[in-house]
Amino acid sequence: MKTPFRGFTAILYKEFLVVMRDPFTLFFMIFPPLVEMIAFGYALDTDVKNIKTIVLNEDRTVESRQLIEQFANTGTFKIVGEAQSVTELADLIRRGKAYVGIQIPPGFTRDLNAGRSAKVQVLVDGSNSSIASSALNTALNVGFRRSLLVVSANTGLRSLPVDVRPQILYNPEMRSPNFFLPGVIGIVLQIATTFATAMSLVRERERGTLEQLMVSPLSRWGLMLGKLVPYLIIGMFMAAFLFTIMRWVFNVPIAGDIGALMVGTFFYVFCLLSLGLLISTRAQNQIQALQMTMIFILPSVFFSGFIFPRETMPWIFYAISTCIPATYYIELERALILRGASLGDFWFNLVMLAGMSALLFSLCAAQFKKKIA
Amino acid sequence: MPTETMISCEALTKRFGHFTAVDHVSFAVAKGSIFGFLGPNGSGKSTVIRMLCGLLEPSDGRASIAGFDVAQQTEEIKPLIGYMSQKFSLYDELTAHENLNFYGRLYGLKGAVLKQRYDELVSLTHLEPYLNRRAALLSGGWRQRLAMACSLVHKPSVLFLDEPTAGIDPVARRELWDLLFEFSSQGMTLFVTTHYMDEAERCSHVGYIHMSKLVVCGEPDDLKQLPIVNPPDTKRIDVTCDHVTTGLQVVRRLPGVRTATVFGQSMHLLVDKGVSEEFILAELAKNKIPHADIRPIAPSLEDVFVALTNNRNEDTK
Repeated sequence: MKTPFRGFTAILYKEFLVVMRDPFTLFFMIFPPLVEMIAFGYALDTDVKNIKTIVLNEDRTVESRQLIEQFANTGTFKIVGEAQSVTELADLIRRGKAYVGIQIPPGFTRDLNAGRSAKVQVLVDGSNSSIASSALNTALNVGFRRSLLVVSANTGLRSLPVDVRPQILYNPEMRSPNFFLPGVIGIVLQIATTFATAMSLVRERERGTLEQLMVSPLSRWGLMLGKLVPYLIIGMFMAAFLFTIMRWVFNVPIAGDIGALMVGTFFYVFCLLSLGLLISTRAQNQIQALQMTMIFILPSVFFSGFIFPRETMPWIFYAISTCIPATYYIELERALILRGASLGDFWFNLVMLAGMSALLFSLCAAQFKKKIA
Repeated sequence: MPTETMISCEALTKRFGHFTAVDHVSFAVAKGSIFGFLGPNGSGKSTVIRMLCGLLEPSDGRASIAGFDVAQQTEEIKPLIGYMSQKFSLYDELTAHENLNFYGRLYGLKGAVLKQRYDELVSLTHLEPYLNRRAALLSGGWRQRLAMACSLVHKPSVLFLDEPTAGIDPVARRELWDLLFEFSSQGMTLFVTTHYMDEAERCSHVGYIHMSKLVVCGEPDDLKQLPIVNPPDTKRIDVTCDHVTTGLQVVRRLPGVRTATVFGQSMHLLVDKGVSEEFILAELAKNKIPHADIRPIAPSLEDVFVALTNNRNEDTK
């Protein structure tokens, strides 16, 4: 009877019953991930459109109105009003009524027709950098195209000297849900799973049942594995459920092999559950467990490449990101889902996740002392 | 038949930082006895139990159960001991049936063996009507019975009970003690902590711990014969009268009265041999307490512990 996993099946039996009877834990494993997924899927759209724009047209000609229309037609700008003076224009931007102001000075058409460089002033509110850069690019593009028309008319040029023809390979419509949702699933899985195991062991500590377990011949490996397996199964179902929502609600096609995706998910979830157990060997109560769980979640959100690309990070954050399981999982997910890569291409990620799982699980079994205080 | 030592402590000590929770405690408990471990809250009772169960590492000294060292041979001890903590550690989400099943499996029982042991424990504790109720919904007495059944599932040789009767109604208390006597008669060794003196009187052996030190240990009857409890030229008397609280004020002022304590409707007095019953009756009558009954009594365990505690406090002054 002296097996290293002594007591495992007993803990497994009990843990399943407890989880199924505890609506609180189940709710927290199912509901917040759903909300977060829907929130990110719909709200986290970085494609900037309909920037509020105010126009000051001092030229008042057909040409100037045409130019304004060209701005509006890009879809990037949405003309929301007209200003009567430069001060009013600046004032409206300062008060947040608009992000962009377009000023066409009196001599615009005259200069254009005379072959001189016709000036257009574009004021951009730089306080929101993504809106500003999008406005800037589009504004320059509008001016450039207009200039090109004039130049080609004057020179009789039929086609452009250099013709760049981009072809977007994966995610051709460049939808941001396609980029974000796999990452969201990674983050959401981390929150739910780490939290679940951390709480489950700490709760036993608080209630005194852990003490009861410690006087029994239960082995620490048996305890840890018995605690982990039920949540691993729940975690896998949860992942499958989230992928289903991603595919059918948000229409993000899964280009790669679903089996491979689930293999990656298995190691990722195992890794996070071990992290949760490791937290629970340290935390004395549920509040501490919650705080410690949050400490591990924030770096995963910011440094894993979920939102910001890792390659542009300062070296210190890049170094941190290499220690985060979510980094490897999200990279793997995007490769499998969006680019249809195979596990063989990303074996390194899988090895890292499996290695981290083994390390964390051994660590928590070693950390857990069958003694109190 | 020679008595076999089941639990033994030698200078067992536990320190938490600068605080010494258990200070050089030594005692031995024979197989089949009921050892009552008494002491005020925070005196170190639970700490001793936790060390004996292998939950805490002793800072100094040693302890053994059935010859196995508690610090070195923890795993050998585990199958031998049952532990019922103060909190009656049950899983609230699980029914009584599931709790008992779980603890059975935890100790490696399965199939027919588990079923048989399960039935035995259910009939022993009369849990039958509550088997499908969640542990969270059981009343204190039934929780205690269930916790007890769970701690007995592997037929331990030693059962530790940490304040098993705290917050339990008197009927449940009596029934628990009936069970404990039954176990004891079957050869199980019981180690019980309690606050109740009447429970202490039922134990075959008692130990009293005060301020982390074991003050006394032995059979209740022997302890009552200790010289310190019965100082020479003194006697113990019981005075039953009306208005006991007023009576107490009166007798405490009398010459020759060493201690006086209220016991329900009467007072227990330790007086010099020379103090006569008539003298006390007359003094009470002067203070408008005309009727009183006086009879000699033997010291109770409480008297023993009070005497020893006072003595120790004076020593440390």
